[in-house]
Amino acid sequence: MGCEEKEIRATVGKKAPDFEADAFFQGGFKKFKLSDFKGKWLVLCFYPGDFTFV
Amino acid sequence: MDAEVLACSVDSKFSHKIWQEQELSKMVEGGVPFPMLSDPGGRIGRMYGIHDEAGGVNIRGRFLIDPDGVVQAMEVLSPPVGRNFSELIRQLQAFQHVRKTGEPTPAGWQPGKKTLKPGPDLVGRVWEVWKVGE
Repeated sequence: MGCEEKEIRATVGKKAPDFEADAFFQGGFKKFKLSDFKGKWLVLCFYPGDFTFV
Repeated sequence: MDAEVLACSVDSKFSHKIWQEQELSKMVEGGVPFPMLSDPGGRIGRMYGIHDEAGGVNIRGRFLIDPDGVVQAMEVLSPPVGRNFSELIRQLQAFQHVRKTGEPTPAGWQPGKKTLKPGPDLVGRVWEVWKVGE
């Protein structure tokens, strides 16, 4: 903790916190920002880890 | 359904690549069609309140975000139980319906089912116009 994002928390009815992240997509590496998806419905799913079972 | 999906874990993009190639592509033809985001250290997970500091992982949080970038729904599960996508799809359909029509959807609503028209006339009379399971 102690980073500037500490205050920002996703809450219903509030703007989703924006971020930029490295990604694997369509066979290559790419950067995505949440704000790239403005104008679209978006489902953001977190999961514990690759190669897990559930 | 007209929605984009992003998956996110603390794993590196390299790990995502190998997982997609070695395993996911054998479960889903062509592999999963959405971006797999890398969140080393859980920076993003912390912003969404679903980072488990002790385990060093992001737990199963799911956020439904509308075209204005506003969070409309969220669900968080602890690691051993997987999600049920039919409820996600139902919620997405309901939120899309509300956004289009302004009509609120009652419990258990499915596309094509009755919506409510809130106003003074409806107070105390929901029982007359809407039955449980309808």
